[in-house]
Amino acid sequence: MNQLRHVGKSVKRKDGPDKVTGRAVYCQDVRLPGMLTGRILRSPHPHAKIVSIDLSKAKALDGVKGVITIEDSKGIKHGFVETPRYPPDQEVLARDRVVHVGEEIAAVAAIDDITAQAALELIDIEYEILPPVFNPHKAMQEGSPEIHPSHPKVAEKESFSNIGGKTESGWGDVEQGFAEADYVREDRYESHLRTHGYLEPQVTVAHWESDKLNVWTSSMGAFNKRAKLAKVLDLPYSSVRVHKAYVGGAFGGKIDLYSHEFCAARLSMLTGRPVRFVASREEIFSAYRHGQPLVVELKTGVKKDGTLVAQELRIINNAGAYRGSGVVVVFLAWGFTMAPYRVPNLKYEGYSVYTNHTTRAPQRGHGCPQVRFAIESQLDTIAEEIGIDPIEIRLRNARVPDEELPNKDNVHQAGLQECIKIAAKKTNLVAKYGRDRKSPPQDTSIRRGVGIGISSYMSGTLIYPNGSGVIVKMNDDGSAIVLTGAIDLGQGAETVITQIIAEELSLDMDDIKIIASDTDTTPQDIGAWISGLTYVTGNAARQAATNARAKLLIVAAEQMNVTADDLYLDNKEIISQSNPDNRLSYREVIAASVANHRGDTVIGEGFWRTMRDEPNHPSLATTKGRWTENYAFSAQTAEVEVDIETGEARLAKALTVHDCGFPINPGLVKGQIDGQVSMALGHAFMEEVMTKDGYTLNTSWLDYRMPTIHNMAESEDADVITEQYEVGQSYRTKEVGEGLVSGILAAIANAIYDATGVRLHSTPFSPEKILKGLRELERHQK
Amino acid sequence: MNQINDRTTVNGKKSRSRVLEMSINGEAHEITVKPRVMLLEAIREKIGLTGTKDGCESGTCGACTVLVDGQPTLSCITLAVECEDKNIRTVEDLADGENLNYLQEAFLDQGGTQCGFCTPGMLMSATALLEKNPKPTRDDINKALEGNLCRCTGYNSIVDSILQVSDQGVKPRLL
Amino acid sequence: MILYDFEYERPGSLKEATALLNETGGDAQLLAGGTDLMPNMRVEVVTPSLLVSVSGIEPAAPEKCADGSIRIDSLTKLSDLVDAELIQNELPMLAESAHTVASNQVRVMGTLGGNLCQETRCLYYNQKHDYQFVEPCYKRGGDCCYPFPGNDRDVCWAVYMSDIAPVLIALDAKLEILGPDGTREIAMADLYTGDGMNPFTLGTAEIIQAIFVPPVPERFGWGYHKTTVRGGLDFGTAIIVIVLQLAEDGETCCWAKIVYSAVGQGPLRPTTTELSMEDAVLDPALIAVAASQEISPLPHHGFNKGFLRENIRVYTERTLVSAIECAQGKI
Repeated sequence: MNQLRHVGKSVKRKDGPDKVTGRAVYCQDVRLPGMLTGRILRSPHPHAKIVSIDLSKAKALDGVKGVITIEDSKGIKHGFVETPRYPPDQEVLARDRVVHVGEEIAAVAAIDDITAQAALELIDIEYEILPPVFNPHKAMQEGSPEIHPSHPKVAEKESFSNIGGKTESGWGDVEQGFAEADYVREDRYESHLRTHGYLEPQVTVAHWESDKLNVWTSSMGAFNKRAKLAKVLDLPYSSVRVHKAYVGGAFGGKIDLYSHEFCAARLSMLTGRPVRFVASREEIFSAYRHGQPLVVELKTGVKKDGTLVAQELRIINNAGAYRGSGVVVVFLAWGFTMAPYRVPNLKYEGYSVYTNHTTRAPQRGHGCPQVRFAIESQLDTIAEEIGIDPIEIRLRNARVPDEELPNKDNVHQAGLQECIKIAAKKTNLVAKYGRDRKSPPQDTSIRRGVGIGISSYMSGTLIYPNGSGVIVKMNDDGSAIVLTGAIDLGQGAETVITQIIAEELSLDMDDIKIIASDTDTTPQDIGAWISGLTYVTGNAARQAATNARAKLLIVAAEQMNVTADDLYLDNKEIISQSNPDNRLSYREVIAASVANHRGDTVIGEGFWRTMRDEPNHPSLATTKGRWTENYAFSAQTAEVEVDIETGEARLAKALTVHDCGFPINPGLVKGQIDGQVSMALGHAFMEEVMTKDGYTLNTSWLDYRMPTIHNMAESEDADVITEQYEVGQSYRTKEVGEGLVSGILAAIANAIYDATGVRLHSTPFSPEKILKGLRELERHQK
Repeated sequence: MNQINDRTTVNGKKSRSRVLEMSINGEAHEITVKPRVMLLEAIREKIGLTGTKDGCESGTCGACTVLVDGQPTLSCITLAVECEDKNIRTVEDLADGENLNYLQEAFLDQGGTQCGFCTPGMLMSATALLEKNPKPTRDDINKALEGNLCRCTGYNSIVDSILQVSDQGVKPRLL
Repeated sequence: MILYDFEYERPGSLKEATALLNETGGDAQLLAGGTDLMPNMRVEVVTPSLLVSVSGIEPAAPEKCADGSIRIDSLTKLSDLVDAELIQNELPMLAESAHTVASNQVRVMGTLGGNLCQETRCLYYNQKHDYQFVEPCYKRGGDCCYPFPGNDRDVCWAVYMSDIAPVLIALDAKLEILGPDGTREIAMADLYTGDGMNPFTLGTAEIIQAIFVPPVPERFGWGYHKTTVRGGLDFGTAIIVIVLQLAEDGETCCWAKIVYSAVGQGPLRPTTTELSMEDAVLDPALIAVAASQEISPLPHHGFNKGFLRENIRVYTERTLVSAIECAQGKI
């Protein structure tokens, strides 16, 4: 009875057969009769006034059914963040001014792609060029070209320009802390511009019909899209239906409302026909959203045994031309600093700075890789300077269970200490550390090194829509239909939810069918972008099943003449513990429910959110307020090989030891780990969005180099189990989908140092930088 | 009637549509296309088989891979008119009705598919590889699949899928 | 997708193909595998009104001629070049270079002739220009150069990236070119103008028909290296090809050729360094320094000149060591 049948098993994906047969319908596969093709007219300038727009020739072209600008909207703004401090700041199309290359100015809908392109070329726009600024430090200077006024709360105290937002936080007394420290050092680390690299380009199909907008759009949360789209169109949510579609990867790049989504909807409303917009790969690389390049200035003081005493951070985020999620990143960066290690005195400030680049979006880790790279690199440097090894210094500072964090969150069953110990043991890190540096092999130019990186990531937090609901409908034969707003981007949400419901209701996986991610037919869901789906929606699913089970037990108890607590569920039967011959099938119980409970067909509902006891989310600006009750922890190691003659480096082996609570599906967890190892090595060695004066140079897969099959490392993983699953109880699983990029990236940086003695302070770790570092070392030695 | 615009051709005339016969997944089809239409568009729009994906339109990601006379081909940079009288196989041809083939099963056993977008192209590249080389080494697999990008899996599970289906000692990981 | 119409013909022979190209006087393009042409047509680097497809013409298999040279049909697919036993046995360097091209799909689709005639490449040139780089550059018929604004008009530093061309130059291959008036033969090296604006010496109606590779002498050694970022799929960062012949003592070099690709408007040869290798005992380290200093690599695709030069130096040395060992029969 206590043996778990489904949860904890590496069950095959429910949507697997659809995906390997080509049956899975993505947005690009949606066909509606009479569908028009939409194209967007984009700004060729990084910063310019729009003096005039003449649409007449475009509108007159045969085959063009609609042409719109901002004048065809209600002028309602939207934003990734929408709070009183950070109200929505983006229009759906440019009004009067463009602030980045590729910004959307107008849109057309035409009968085919050639006509749509011809129409774009017939739109006449007169621009007045304005001076642009691309470097965030320059942008911050007084007198810089103003992209947007600095946030009033910042402007009242500081004279920096172009500040979209600021996070300031701290506790204790850092000056005192540094004074008491035995060793203090300051460093600066920079992370470069990278992008998500999802294989599926964004596609939106919108069809306005009978006063209802039907939308298929690449997203990370149908309810988020519905809310934003309905808002900018000034429609009630019930008039906007975001349909289920499979999503070909997102990694943070498909949450925001995109201009083309509004344009598809608006043009459909104007033309009465379905309208489809497809973002080309060039548009995605040059005009859509990328990750956040951070500059991290870090000052740290420690005791001679490695105990952290004080830390001071200043982070600058090159946030692009609108607020985007830049203000969230500078808040999160604080979180990623204070969660894994105990820091008695901290001073933190983070600026999100406008520049004439495309707006930024979250990218897997949302600041964590950049921050952990900085902190872990510096920590290794400190350890070496004070003469202790990288494991000892981390064990001294790593969180232990039940520690309270400075924002009053609790780490609960934090398994970080265990993670570090296991990682150290499995890689034999302490013995291997420094080997090739101390006695370099003479017969080869390849040097090997090993490094470790620690990270912590939150699982679910409060941002709209804040909570998830799930409905379990029992069919009268005992099988179940589950309604959930959850969206499966590839991480396996539908599979995990099925496992939970199968476990709670003692059904087979095949007895359950999921209806998902449809804003009309499924309950609200937090979406797959805050690392909380398994925890939040999973618990909602568990609750819904529990609710259905409770109803079944009441009816069964009546029918079987026992009390409900005498009963247990097993394989679609309800059985009396005291007399196992006394049993009924679900079919019989449900029939009895319908017969004797006024037609009650047995529907279970459940809902869940993080921090059920806290009403609000924390302040992005001051970090005050609780954030989550669910922190995941990890220790990851990297073994690299560096050719010291060419600077070429590669990741040979990765190990991820993580406290994920417990894995609901270990096979799916491993999939997430492998994907993040691949992303980390891409970030480390080969991916870079190259820009010049606001233009993107590499707009194709050939020159934005993501890892190919040649580049993947051996990827091993181990779980540290700190939670458990019990039928009928709420559970805590910790996230595995985002936070595991960071540790590998940090470990790679440390491993490169270990192999070569070259300490790199900026990504990517290119051959040029490694060679430059080696030359400097040579010069120093002479 | 569409007004002729100067995008139509360099010399102002619209091009002739061609009627093509080709075999798609063993079925004879006759389609009418202009020369500029890519095989990918013909398969997805004219025939209506949407399993083959459009990832980049420029032959750099492999999501559009189909087999043309058994050869793995980037359908997004292959003109439909070039494929007259050829045998085209897409991902829809791998399963036998409801029954997945061993390669597809192996992908499910190993977790070789996550978001699924690269999967059809991967499967066709893998199918072509296994037809030519029933027991490929890891290097053979890498060379055969280097043109198929995947952002979700990190590739190890895809390699394991091919090693499993070719009986090279890899056991299913998912149940 | 390609956003303009064009006509399409599929002649049954190369002779008919040249006639068609001749008729349209420069406004037509030859379509073989299409792996270079199609993406370029999509971003409107070239907008032909007619495509002349040679995909209906079956290439002859590689064969040995009476004089010992090997004839390779220009329409040979790259994957067939890799797999052909004759090539693997007699010209392994050719098979190896073909095996590094792009991806399996591109090798299966693309032809040898197409690989040699591929257009030069530049980050700015190979993009759509709807809203980025809207003013056409020199190579696109306009008035500026984005990566090198100081360049004079008609100087284009887009880079020629063929993995196979440097091998054929090193092997002294000859090209049989078919034109409207018949065939002519040129040395492989003479295919290139060295001018990035118009990289090839071919006339608009001329097609490479066949490639002839002479037999290699005894005590012949070769080395091939393609530097890439990812180890596959990529165009080369720099490509180094070295061939040489050793004297009977197994140590003295009789002659050597060094050919670089992916770092210039056409393949580059450090001819002075090559001369210094004639009848000399080689010091690979010194030769590598000399060769890498003698040529001037063009920065391209995000790689700067200094880095390219250093990469070329290291790999010239390693490739030369390999070529020497190959000539000595050690590998």
